[in-house]
Amino acid sequence: MRDAFKAVLWSFFGVRKRAEYEADQRRLKPAQIIGAGVVCALVFVIALYLLVRAVVTM
Amino acid sequence: MTATTHTADHADEHHDHKPYGLSRWLFTTNHKDIGTMYLLFGLLMAIVGGFLSLGIRAELFMPGLQILQPETFNSFMTLHGLIMVFGAVMPVFVGFANWLIPMQIGAADMAFPRMNNWSFWMLPPAAILLAASFFVEGGAIQSGWTLYPPLFTQSGIAGDMTILAVHILGASSIMGSINIVTTVLNLRAPGMTLMKMPLFVWTWLITAYLLIAVMPVLAGAVTMLLTDRHFGTSFFNAAGGGDPTMFMHIFWFFGHPEVYIIILPAFGIVSQIIPAFSRKPLFGYASMVYATASIAILSFIVWGHHMFTVGMPAAGQLFFMYATMLIAVPTGVKVFNWIATMWRGSLTFETPMLWALGFLFMFTMGGFTGLVLAITPVDITLHNSYYVVAHFHYTMVAGASFAIFGGVYYWWPKWTGKMYNESAGKLHFWWTTIGFNLTFFPQHFLGLAGMPRRIPDYALQFAEWNMISSIGAFFLAAGQIFFMITLYMSYKSGQPAKDKQWEGADSLEWTHLPSPAPYHTFEVQPVLK
Repeated sequence: MRDAFKAVLWSFFGVRKRAEYEADQRRLKPAQIIGAGVVCALVFVIALYLLVRAVVTM
Repeated sequence: MTATTHTADHADEHHDHKPYGLSRWLFTTNHKDIGTMYLLFGLLMAIVGGFLSLGIRAELFMPGLQILQPETFNSFMTLHGLIMVFGAVMPVFVGFANWLIPMQIGAADMAFPRMNNWSFWMLPPAAILLAASFFVEGGAIQSGWTLYPPLFTQSGIAGDMTILAVHILGASSIMGSINIVTTVLNLRAPGMTLMKMPLFVWTWLITAYLLIAVMPVLAGAVTMLLTDRHFGTSFFNAAGGGDPTMFMHIFWFFGHPEVYIIILPAFGIVSQIIPAFSRKPLFGYASMVYATASIAILSFIVWGHHMFTVGMPAAGQLFFMYATMLIAVPTGVKVFNWIATMWRGSLTFETPMLWALGFLFMFTMGGFTGLVLAITPVDITLHNSYYVVAHFHYTMVAGASFAIFGGVYYWWPKWTGKMYNESAGKLHFWWTTIGFNLTFFPQHFLGLAGMPRRIPDYALQFAEWNMISSIGAFFLAAGQIFFMITLYMSYKSGQPAKDKQWEGADSLEWTHLPSPAPYHTFEVQPVLK
């Protein structure tokens, strides 16, 4: 599962080493990627919200 | 279902067992026939929507009211938007999907061929409802394609006709999307893993999920409008305790993913064309897939940027501003990947490549003006100005439509077996590029100078750029007549196309099928390594 999160976080940045990508292909199932993607998207939204709250209360 | 009963070989080209006459088109379950009908329907709707836009630009040619009364102007503007989005661009992309997805994944047809037929044949009644609404009492709706109440709620019977049309179009889109998702996930040829699929298939898979997610939201919104109009509810009526702002939130929760529904298949087409004419594989294929998925997810959390000025807490404005600006990251990844694909490639500039490059350059400009508008304080100044009109036409026309033109020229040899006229194609590209920029670039200046959108008359200081924009619009439209004539001539008497017309193309329709693609293809699935 840690690999799935790593793959998704790299994809947020948009770049991935070819060897790492090929390793992902071997060891990860689509369901793991989707699960990690949904969790990361939620974390992303919460992080944005916290950032906004910090800015507004400053 | 003849598709399953006889074997595949190239002799099918001559013994294709297709029905003839009207019944072929009415009852067809063939993905190519249905794809063709979608494309022709989209073309017809684009002509209608284009005619409406020429009405708008003719009225705006100079200050004062000359041709259209304000009510008619508003109807033209509204129906232009609705027809272009729901009637032209979306069906054309579904046409591409129908034609190409089964061929690109090595499937014999779509997963639900009869539903495919039904998805298409729902469109003409919706189009008739929209077109006929001009001729009913009160005329067509005037609220803009966003259907905002309270203006929309006050429409005559045209309001109900529009609601019904939107419902039908939505149902058709949902059925089409279920078909695409099922086809892609279940009918791929052995060896065609998800991460080997052409990017066009990937972008459509993600688009289909987006459609399934947001079309019911739009259906809910228009149903609430219907009950507000006729059944005494007050969802959006402040006098009854409702809130018109809620409609805007619901509409744009649908509307922003809709923007990506329109542009993602365009990304897919461009991602097929650029590698083919660079004679290199797409740079960063996996990151392109991931970026498409990221864009799709982010598209759900940015809708508030359409309504910065309606009243929103500062925290909401900041959230939507940050989220919107972050969409530029995966979009930027795509643009850089397309450029990196061309880097040190053996580039040639046939017509499809010209359109893809035009897309790349001008869609990026539309993306940048999107970033400008994402900045809340700037948007408060530019909201509802011509700057917004310029921005979204750079993404919808120079983005979606340029990709469509590129795709039509790219796959024309495969669809028809005939080669288009290269010089005419290039002329069409430059004609359209010049006409498009002449029409829409000045609208940035008009918006910055303060000209509001959706008005039939304007102050004198806006006269010059409006005149130039209108001349550009008619020039642009003339170019599209030229396009239709040259394609028709190519269909009738073009040179025969090669099976693999583009040496750099590597997807199955080019490597495994003759040109034109036979009526039935891949009845025996190819096995890929």
